[in-house]
Amino acid sequence: MHQYVTVTIDGAKVKARKGTSVLDTALRYAICIPHLCHLPNLSEIGACRLCIVEHVQNGRTKVTTSCTLLAQEGMVILANSDRIRKLRRNIAELLVTQAPNSRAIQDMAVRCGVTEARYPFRQDDCILCGRCVRACKESYQAHAIGFVGRGKERHVNYVFGERPEECVMCRACVTLCPMTVTPCDGPMKPGEEYLCGKCQSVTQAPQYQVGDCVRCDLGQGFDCARHHQ
Amino acid sequence: MPKITSTQNLEVLHERLRAERDDGALLMTICGGPGCQATNCQDVVTEVKKELGSNGLNGKVRLRVTGCHGFCEQGPIMVIDPSNIFYHHVGPEDVSEILNRTVRDGETIDRLLYTDPATNKKVVTEADVPFYQAQSPTLLSQNRWVDPLSIEDYIAIGGYGGLAKVLSGMTPEAVIEEIEASGLRGRGGGGFPTARKWAACRAARGEEKYVICNADEGDPGAFMDRGVLEGNPHAVLEGMIIGAYAIGCEKGYIYVRNEYPIAVDHANEAIRQAREYGFLGKDILGSGMTFDIEVARGGGAFVCGESTALMASLEGKVGEPRPKDIHTVEEGLWNKPTTLNNVETWANVPSIINRGAEWFAGMGTDNSKGTKILALTGQVKNTGLVEVAFGTSIRTVVDEIGGGGRDGRTIKAVQTGGPSGGCLPAALFDLPVDFDVLWEKGSMIGSGGLVVMDEKTCMVDVARYFLKFLQDESCGKCVPCRIGVDRLLEIVTDIVEGRGRPEQIELLKELGETVAQTALCGLGKTAPNPALSTLRYFPEEYEAHVSEHRCPAGVCTALIEYSIDSAACNGCGACLKSCPYGAIQGEKNTLHAIDPHLCTKCGICPTTCNENAIIVQ
Repeated sequence: MHQYVTVTIDGAKVKARKGTSVLDTALRYAICIPHLCHLPNLSEIGACRLCIVEHVQNGRTKVTTSCTLLAQEGMVILANSDRIRKLRRNIAELLVTQAPNSRAIQDMAVRCGVTEARYPFRQDDCILCGRCVRACKESYQAHAIGFVGRGKERHVNYVFGERPEECVMCRACVTLCPMTVTPCDGPMKPGEEYLCGKCQSVTQAPQYQVGDCVRCDLGQGFDCARHHQ
Repeated sequence: MPKITSTQNLEVLHERLRAERDDGALLMTICGGPGCQATNCQDVVTEVKKELGSNGLNGKVRLRVTGCHGFCEQGPIMVIDPSNIFYHHVGPEDVSEILNRTVRDGETIDRLLYTDPATNKKVVTEADVPFYQAQSPTLLSQNRWVDPLSIEDYIAIGGYGGLAKVLSGMTPEAVIEEIEASGLRGRGGGGFPTARKWAACRAARGEEKYVICNADEGDPGAFMDRGVLEGNPHAVLEGMIIGAYAIGCEKGYIYVRNEYPIAVDHANEAIRQAREYGFLGKDILGSGMTFDIEVARGGGAFVCGESTALMASLEGKVGEPRPKDIHTVEEGLWNKPTTLNNVETWANVPSIINRGAEWFAGMGTDNSKGTKILALTGQVKNTGLVEVAFGTSIRTVVDEIGGGGRDGRTIKAVQTGGPSGGCLPAALFDLPVDFDVLWEKGSMIGSGGLVVMDEKTCMVDVARYFLKFLQDESCGKCVPCRIGVDRLLEIVTDIVEGRGRPEQIELLKELGETVAQTALCGLGKTAPNPALSTLRYFPEEYEAHVSEHRCPAGVCTALIEYSIDSAACNGCGACLKSCPYGAIQGEKNTLHAIDPHLCTKCGICPTTCNENAIIVQ
């Protein structure tokens, strides 16, 4: 028998299986919380910070990632407050200016309301979401790739820089990488990056309400967890 | 030494050791802290040992090399008791004179006495040194009486008495209540009430629990924990044993950075001695309690000072923080309930138990009790470790203890709490040293670093310096800290290099606030503080850089020009000779001129000019 708890997300009282995260609960009830480093059945690292929500407790609110926050009885969550939307937009702006050459990230920026890029574009590509590392380690038990270095130097590589025999070239890491789908107009050249923004119509459609999951195409690029349900 | 098996035996030993030390012999104390070691106090110690042997004074003089006394600026420091004579800047060449004149004949040597800069009078005794007078030493003062390598010294000043008191009748709950009543808050930066942490860990489910001492002090310009762990390691051990009793655990770790080799050695030696005397191990003081401590050395990552990253590092994993939605008191080291406290927090515990919670709560402000050790550095006359009661104003620390600005310059700001703290302007110097007050003003006590900056410091450049440090030390796990701090640095670098645009100031603020709210760990959340606090208190400096392309303090090389004041230059040629780039032209006794195309603004020429004729603006 599963135990259930009641959680309030954006005013809606929903039942959540005990031990599941607030993000999974919200997605189950079609409340859209943008996310990137989260993948079903992988451990949560809370790295991309896009799925932040406000957790209201004793009259105080605390900003935390919903993927690492476990649903508990009586919890009150604000997933789409003005404060959260602004913070999320700023994070998405950081991501898209760092890696504009990805449809997934361009989509995400649109979904989070980024309309201008206030930082110079870079083409760093990998945004260290760690999907590949975790899938290799947890789903395939291969431990072939990992994070190397610290801070700006941090990158994904084979252990000791050489392909170990545990790597059987299954390409799971490639399929899960948000960088593998180029923007609709094709790859951007260095110095010519721009915010694509073509999908803005999705978030501006009359039936669209902030926080609603409309099973948008935006999610396909980055493998939105909602598409797995 | 046989094991001490009961609290009575400890009392007997304490009495005996105290009596041994009260035999009327002269006590010569030499500070062996890191500051004094840097000025070669070891040579003085070697010389004293040699001279004592050849002078026939062995037995009449007891030599004690201790941990840091705090007054690092004046090292090497020597104090001769019982007359409390204070000598500074002692060199090996002074030793035989000290032994002959001061020790044998009781005279003081004027040359080695400290001069009070305010009155220009020589100060004879340590108690009269103004640097010490405004302090409330309770923890740091123990350093003065203890050889860190001698457990007997520590027992002689009442050491392990707190542990004996706890084991001879206090319940764990009573210990936590006592700490609660004292109002002790974590000294590592967060200021979380210690008793609440202990109680939560005690209540947490699980048989195995751990206590950890965080000695991974990484802030630039901070060395409080080093001073305590090197100078008085047994106080830390005793605090941890008491904590372990209150929480109910059998294993503790001291996580100390490898860059502190003396602290590592002293902690290891203290643990060895404590095991030998029966304060660690099985059946401690006959109470049946089992507890042991191990030293773990950190690899020098700033982020490992964060509790969850530290625990990951202890487990042998990469030192990265994890989300704290489940607290470490429930799932910490190896997913077991873990209490982590800072060196200074642990070291405060024995005194609280010994002297009572009321004594401790009697010092400080409403919400911040006790004393805090601060590492005073930067552009002040007296740098070193100072211990003040909470509630003491910053002005007292900077002006009275620190002696004011160097070379008569005006002090502009202090950076409190290390790189993730903030800058407070001189107008706010009447604020008390207090966890909550400083937090409200956009800064924090942090672990206790206090960097003083004078009028020749550019606040935008300071923000750039600290952001660079934080960007280098970011673990890179979460986006706001890795990319956000990098972008903050990019903007601030644009501003100091003269490419700043007015809208960037607003962006800096917005991005700073975003990082502060969304980063994964405490270090990331406080990383924008250098930018945010300088922006809050010194907006005019940012404006000057951006709108007028001018650096008011004359620091940012892209925005300044060197020129020669034609009225003041006497043509002496000093600057001309000093310039490594040949940028200064002129003949002897004629007016010199600087060629702006060759000048690299290295800053050498102003230091050579006696007429102050080099203008930087």
